[in-house]
Amino acid sequence: MLSYLVRRLCIGAITLLLITFMIYGLIRNMPGTPLTMDLAETDPSRQISDEDLQRLERIYGLDRHWSVAYFQWLGNLARLDMGRSFREKRPVTEVIGERVGPTLVLSVTSLVLAYLLAIPMGLFATVRSGRTDERILSTVLYMLYSVPAFVTALLLLNLFYVRLEGTLFQLPLGGMTSMQYDQLSGLGKVWDRLQHMILPVTCATYTGLAYYSRFVKSNMEEVIRQDYIRTARAKGVGPFGVVVKHAFRNTLIPFVTLMGLTLPGLLSGFVILESVFTWQGMGLLFLDSITNRDYPTIMGLTFMFSVLTLAGQLIADILYAFVDPRVTYS
Amino acid sequence: MTEPTIMQRDVPRSPLVARVEGEVSRGFWATSWVRFRRRKLAMTALGFVGLLTLVALFSPAIAGTKPIVCRYRGRLYFPAMSYFHPRWENEIFFRDGFRMRYVQNLREKDPDSWAIWPLVFQDPYRRVRDGEWPGQPGNESYAAPNPHNLFGTTHPGVDVFAQMVHGTRVALLVGFVATGIAAVIGITVGALAGYLGGWVDMLLSRLIEMVMCIPALVLILALLAVLDTPTIWHLMAVLGMTGWTGIARLTRGEFLKLRQTEYVSAAAALGAGQLRIMFRHILPNSLAPVLVPISFGIAAAILIESGLSFLGFGAPPPNPSWGSLLNAGRNNLQMWWLIVFPGTAIFLTVLAYNLIGEGIQEATDPKLRQARQ
Repeated sequence: MLSYLVRRLCIGAITLLLITFMIYGLIRNMPGTPLTMDLAETDPSRQISDEDLQRLERIYGLDRHWSVAYFQWLGNLARLDMGRSFREKRPVTEVIGERVGPTLVLSVTSLVLAYLLAIPMGLFATVRSGRTDERILSTVLYMLYSVPAFVTALLLLNLFYVRLEGTLFQLPLGGMTSMQYDQLSGLGKVWDRLQHMILPVTCATYTGLAYYSRFVKSNMEEVIRQDYIRTARAKGVGPFGVVVKHAFRNTLIPFVTLMGLTLPGLLSGFVILESVFTWQGMGLLFLDSITNRDYPTIMGLTFMFSVLTLAGQLIADILYAFVDPRVTYS
Repeated sequence: MTEPTIMQRDVPRSPLVARVEGEVSRGFWATSWVRFRRRKLAMTALGFVGLLTLVALFSPAIAGTKPIVCRYRGRLYFPAMSYFHPRWENEIFFRDGFRMRYVQNLREKDPDSWAIWPLVFQDPYRRVRDGEWPGQPGNESYAAPNPHNLFGTTHPGVDVFAQMVHGTRVALLVGFVATGIAAVIGITVGALAGYLGGWVDMLLSRLIEMVMCIPALVLILALLAVLDTPTIWHLMAVLGMTGWTGIARLTRGEFLKLRQTEYVSAAAALGAGQLRIMFRHILPNSLAPVLVPISFGIAAAILIESGLSFLGFGAPPPNPSWGSLLNAGRNNLQMWWLIVFPGTAIFLTVLAYNLIGEGIQEATDPKLRQARQ
């Protein structure tokens, strides 16, 4: 087990090096630098002179070739320094750290909701397999699975922001709090935050819901045909007991893998949704840092996403060995 | 050599023999097709994709402002073809100063000319103005759906229906080309890794793992940004280059399994080369499971393309794309026609490819087939 872990960690480290090297090369070769992207917005009369530009480039280390700059970045990373954001003029860790919370609020809420709804739905679909109500439920879920979240987001905004304007049901356009948030009372603040969460969470939940419930159902269909289920039925276990205790608990192993694989998605999965709802999370930060050519921030985010993906895979594999005694890594 | 076959065909047979032989000769793909055809939903989906293909192929004939066929100064021209590629417009129309206005210019510059016009006189790239087409008023900006603009208009008065019809081309092309590239890369990498094994497998597996670990959107956005002016073809290439890992893993697994089989040893004993064994003997037998992620991959590629256009990172603006219509809808939320029509189109197309993928899975996977019985 230990040697397996060490080998996996070594391979993971090499993978990380290659990924960051590749992404660093790519982003440094994008046209425009953080300096010019910033200047493009100011008026031409105040444009910076060539000498000043070169001076700035030297200060920010943009005058060196990207491969040299990469190893500099790597060296700083080894000293736990991710550099400073060009845009925000603050350390990258601080900029990213600020965005973790909002994204987690969105992703954890929607993940919990999706699981809470998907498991009963999947079990229901297994029990009623082939009947009319099951067909309707499965078809609706299947169709939901094919609707892109950004289309739903726009439709919901059209309904709740535009059509219901002025009524009790109007929901905010985006953001996480209203403009007058600071003046609200304690309960008002909670209500305000909830109102801002409803639409993003709905959109983030439903795609996962469709996927997980199908996942539950397909796993259950395999288990429900096993001999021990027939045995359980024969010895007189009630239908609820058979489905939940005997069948569902045996489908939990693939669930463990699935959870491991959703780990990186918790922080990176909502780029488009966060952009629609101007939700100040990691996804929006990533989009903004790409448009602003904010190299340190892009690298920080890429590094974090890749670490999470690798960690998620490793955790899934290790958990797999824990929950299923047939799997060993020695 | 051909004589015996002719002879055989002429020999009268009992119906029983013919029937038995017919059943024997029905191969894997034919049985799969029969099984696929039984699934009504999958067949409907296939029909829908066929319909979309027709719309894409005939888009200039459905909506456009250029004649499909016209006779001008004694010769036949097909100006509508320029919607496929700008250079396919005959230069005579530039020389004579048509400036994209065909109706009046044809009448003024050659009274004897005639033309066959598209079904809907609307352009996906520009606003149709007053008096361009007899009896049709000019487009207003942000017009709600009306008899002249079936799906309404966007900001400079460009018809949404025309943009949707021409956007079909982009959506279908992205799906096919991007997934085609992904399939070629994925199958090649997976086949090499699975068949050769050893250090090749080790290296290629690490490569697959690495590409899988890079968040897809990071890679796509970075690659698109490196290109100064990304076109729709660049986008397809980028999507193809990032989306092959699933196919590669599956192909690798299939090849690992199949290289142990007797027919592979038989082929090797007969002196077949490695490439021949890989692509002539193993590949056709491992293709069925690989088709499933390909079909889902087409759906995913269409989703990603529309998502990128929606964010404003897709193909440059004049390209009509469903996603860029949604992008316009995002800034004008009260204009439901900018959201509902392209949204429905994306939804139906993605649904269709998902259903087809599932149909293939159920038709070709022996495990699922046994489960049904």
